[in-house]
Amino acid sequence: MLIKKITYTNRRLHIHIGLLLVLFIWLFSISGLLLNHGDWEFTSFWEQRKQNKTITTIHIPSGLDSTQIVKSILLQLKISGEVNNVKMNADSVDFSVSYPGHVNNIHADFKKSICVQNQLSYNIWGKLRTLHTFNGANKNNTSTAPNWLLTRVWRFSMDGVAIGLIFLSVSSWIMWYKIRKEYTWGYFTLLAGLVLAIYFVLIIRTA
Amino acid sequence: MKKYYPSIRALHLYFGLLISPLVLIFCISVLVLNHTGYVDSNYAIKNLPVIKTRIDKIPYDSSDLQTAKNIIQKLGIKGEIDYIFQNDSQISFPVLLPGFTTSIKIDKQTNEVLISRKEEGTLRATNFLHKMPGPHNAKLRGNSFFMKNWKLLADGVVYLLLFLSASGVFLWYFLKVERKLGWVSIVVGIILFTGLLFFLLT
Repeated sequence: MLIKKITYTNRRLHIHIGLLLVLFIWLFSISGLLLNHGDWEFTSFWEQRKQNKTITTIHIPSGLDSTQIVKSILLQLKISGEVNNVKMNADSVDFSVSYPGHVNNIHADFKKSICVQNQLSYNIWGKLRTLHTFNGANKNNTSTAPNWLLTRVWRFSMDGVAIGLIFLSVSSWIMWYKIRKEYTWGYFTLLAGLVLAIYFVLIIRTA
Repeated sequence: MKKYYPSIRALHLYFGLLISPLVLIFCISVLVLNHTGYVDSNYAIKNLPVIKTRIDKIPYDSSDLQTAKNIIQKLGIKGEIDYIFQNDSQISFPVLLPGFTTSIKIDKQTNEVLISRKEEGTLRATNFLHKMPGPHNAKLRGNSFFMKNWKLLADGVVYLLLFLSASGVFLWYFLKVERKLGWVSIVVGIILFTGLLFFLLT
């Protein structure tokens, strides 16, 4: 009775989690293909990027640390995004602010009280590519968390999609097991998938 | 359309079972990539002892890549050659496998070879596979047998995943019992998806 209930719930969850995630699956599948096929000309984005340079007068209060200065500059420029590559000097600060499809490289000069923004905007293909990888990870310091709320939300949704897909995979095994006598080729296909995965993850480096 | 239901159901089942272990690799690696700090602090990279050896002659060839390929063949090392650095005094390049990196440095004057190896573990192996072949070093990428196969496999998984999600929607549509709740799931998914993209992209 309990097993029947579990398999019934498992099947329902498989259907509804799958339907809930369908657009996310399409997004990450298509963007994954774009990242692996940089030679597809119709999806080129770097050559089509738009560049814009603006110079703005700003006021930088003295006695602040680099984080406070960056926050103050972002507030004055009315921009937001994931802040990266902060390089603080005695009389200037350089950093970049990004969100998917958009990068803003900023140089603020304390003495001249000016801020130079070099903005890069990508087309739809560039946006798709950056959505796939936009998790706020810092290669130089892996212990730091994303500093923009929306990066955290997007990273959380990436985790959610991954956990959802793990459930869909495992639940499919349970669903097939129930009807394995009708679908006997399932033994072969599941085994083939497992062998391939184990080979690439575990065996190849020891062979 | 309903006449296609049995065959689409069978394909959905078989393709799903086939790629499910590979989908697990991609999903686990997403968690690894998003929480690198946790992985780094709990699963240390093991540096193996450096090997010092010598080759009789550097097997120069038509390109840096071919030379590097000849070198690893001589040294009995397998893997994907990453970027190659070469100047007047040395040639160096990493050789990558999922979860294992070998760095090779050859002194051009003495033919002395330094081989450093890093055992990165299973979680980082999934991470590596997720990122490969990827957008970087496109000219060099796919220089090993395993990477050529992985590239085909990764593409295959994505195409089948697209098929599975589309066929899943088709199969659900004919399940009258689940139709109402199914619409709710789809609408919630659309709201979450468009809402997130709206805030992220604008």
